[in-house]
Amino acid sequence: MNGDEQPYQRPDRLSSVPDVAPPADAETLLRAVARGDEAAFTRLYELVAPRVYGLARRVVRDPAQAEEVAQEALVEVWRTASRFDPARGSATAWVFTITHRRAVDRVRSEQAALDRVQRMAPEATQTPADEVVEQATARLQRQQVRRCIKTLTDLQREAITLAYYGGYTYQQVAQLLGAGLPTVKTRMRDGLIRLRDCLGVEVSA
Amino acid sequence: MSEIHSLAGPYVLHALDESERETFIQHLRGCETCAAEVAELNETVARLADDAWSVPPPALRDNVLAAVRRTRQIPPARPVRVRREPTRWWRHPAALTTAACLLVAALVGGATWTVQEQRLRDERATAQAAQQELARTQAVLTAQDATVRTSDVAGGGKVTVVASPSQDAAVILLATHSPGAQKAYQFWLMEGTTPHSAGVLAAGQGTATHLVSGVNAADAMGLTVEPAGGSASPTLPIIAEIPMK
Repeated sequence: MNGDEQPYQRPDRLSSVPDVAPPADAETLLRAVARGDEAAFTRLYELVAPRVYGLARRVVRDPAQAEEVAQEALVEVWRTASRFDPARGSATAWVFTITHRRAVDRVRSEQAALDRVQRMAPEATQTPADEVVEQATARLQRQQVRRCIKTLTDLQREAITLAYYGGYTYQQVAQLLGAGLPTVKTRMRDGLIRLRDCLGVEVSA
Repeated sequence: MSEIHSLAGPYVLHALDESERETFIQHLRGCETCAAEVAELNETVARLADDAWSVPPPALRDNVLAAVRRTRQIPPARPVRVRREPTRWWRHPAALTTAACLLVAALVGGATWTVQEQRLRDERATAQAAQQELARTQAVLTAQDATVRTSDVAGGGKVTVVASPSQDAAVILLATHSPGAQKAYQFWLMEGTTPHSAGVLAAGQGTATHLVSGVNAADAMGLTVEPAGGSASPTLPIIAEIPMK
């Protein structure tokens, strides 16, 4: 060390962290949400909202009701974030499970009431077309799901998609497919096992 | 694979009605391997949401964020201890008579708790014995030929006997007040007029699920109050009596 060396100069200001938010995964965000972090919730919203809304829309069909279901589900994610347990599955699965449950509840209470009068109403105009924006990763995931669904037998595929996207009980699915109850529930389970293996799904508990 | 376990598919797809859903959740609580499979299938099902991608209306974001600002979050749950195996119980619900069904429901909680307590004390052998007793109790309650008889206990409470000739066993359910700290309830099997002890409860214990074997020769089941530890022959009066034939 020698005396001629420039003394250490304190920078005028500390350089700020780059303005780009670091990529955060859903689990990290959800943990922050559980601590009441609204900014983290906003970012989680950006990450999951298209799938939450899309799923609600697919199940309940009516755009206005889908919007309500999506809102209920996302607020429930905020409200119950502290109950998320990473040992039992991923954060996104947790969010979509809540969403699907809400959508199915809506459809079942609807069916009990009127035969979906709303379906006859003209579609709300402010809903943008599905194809407008689509993230590359979302497209890839979507392609993978579609490819894996194709590996199922017809009965497995129909049983699973009618229940999941249609919101039907397995008894209703059996009626629609003209198949026996034991067959339908078994096809649902072994079809999902095949999907699981195709998608490479694991739960690291 | 048990019958009930095939409901795993419909369960993760939210395709069960409420009562089946409850039954399946009960099943999951007692079966770790099932819980692991359900976790994976649940994860798989959630991936189906990827294919439902759709641009949300812009108003959704504002509405959700506004709702979040006025919504209080719930506190974390206390950690739940994972229950192990004992709920094999539910494997053959179809075979249950209606009356026995209710009894099973009432029993599961207590029996599971008993097994848990024993595990906490790390008494493996005892726990195993308790599980065997649980399995035998289940066999009696679910037997096709099970009969259910109930009697009032003098002084208050009820005693119910579920007997199965094919199992040569009976399950006695006692629900009454404590006999007092130094006293114990004792069950008796009566062959004609000859009583044989069918078990003594712990001193002060007023509720119990008690399995008795070798009941086919018995004409009746009786209940008495005895000094703690029980007696060789019944102390009168008999405070409840149930015919077995």
